[in-house]
Amino acid sequence: MGVAAAATLDLDAELMLRVKDGDAASFGVLLEKHRVPVTRFVYRLVQEQAVSEELAQEVFLRVYRSRSSYEPTAKFKTWLFRIASHLALNWLRDEKHERGQERLDDLSTDLPARQITDRRPSVEQELLYEVKLKEIRRAVAELPDKQRAAVLMHKYEEMEYTQIAKVLGCSESAVKSLLFRAYVTLRARLAHMGIT
Amino acid sequence: MNCPIKTRNLELLVDFAAGGLNPETASALERHLAGCDACRSMAADQTAVWKALDAWEAPPVSPGFDRRLYRRIDEVARFSWWERLTRAFRRMPLSQAVPLTASAGLLLMAGLLLHRPGRIPPVASRGEVVRANQVERTLDDLELLRQFGTADSKESAHSDAM
Repeated sequence: MGVAAAATLDLDAELMLRVKDGDAASFGVLLEKHRVPVTRFVYRLVQEQAVSEELAQEVFLRVYRSRSSYEPTAKFKTWLFRIASHLALNWLRDEKHERGQERLDDLSTDLPARQITDRRPSVEQELLYEVKLKEIRRAVAELPDKQRAAVLMHKYEEMEYTQIAKVLGCSESAVKSLLFRAYVTLRARLAHMGIT
Repeated sequence: MNCPIKTRNLELLVDFAAGGLNPETASALERHLAGCDACRSMAADQTAVWKALDAWEAPPVSPGFDRRLYRRIDEVARFSWWERLTRAFRRMPLSQAVPLTASAGLLLMAGLLLHRPGRIPPVASRGEVVRANQVERTLDDLELLRQFGTADSKESAHSDAM
């Protein structure tokens, strides 16, 4: 597929075709655009910042290494998130074997800096927020891997069902089912917090 | 509008909570919710979960991310050169590659040990002849080893077949 044909697919695919032709600057543009979404997605999947950055780097490294064989058969973002999901879910699978559920008890060690509307939260508010956040992270972490990936793409990356289906390699109806089951579980797990 | 729960069209409630419905569908659903307790309850729950998830922010990407990535890319580029150099050896069967590599290593070591610039008179033409001879001998040795390896593997295959 040529550059003109790819342009109808998406701009990112066109940039990737330029990378394929040896244009390093286009790789920089793609990195600039997708660095944060990919790292953020992987972070919410693995819930460890250092690991998420390492894996996100691996994603972009794989993109770079496979530039010569790249064919824009799908949206670039779908391809990118497919690589990211694959790497993160593999890491989670290996991690489960190594550490079991130990990591779930350690979620508070990697809390991101909080951005809040009230610029001066009280100590109580801060504590409440941290408790709430820990519960949310735990609830998401305890979802089966595919459900978790589907929720994160749906909720935080605002991806469509068809896109999520392509990333996870399943049908659109399977994605809807995954998401619905995941949200049912989240409602049940977060109910005690007074959310529902 | 048909009841999303009765028609198993539950993603409609999920999309409603996410604010992803077009205005007409959203209005129709709101009218349905006013008269359907089950759907209203589910939509409220889903909206609450959706809002709760908003609280979870990811940390910013560390400043050295790109620098580390490009360093890794450079390493990959260097490695690919080594790949090209060793590709020929990797295609060979182990029975040929091992003796060839060992012979090349021995020849290199011998060359380094024998090469003493202080003792050899600095006659350029002689040095060139010696090096040319060495290269020729090395190539002959390698060819001999390759043939030996091929003959050896054929022989073993023949004896295996018998």
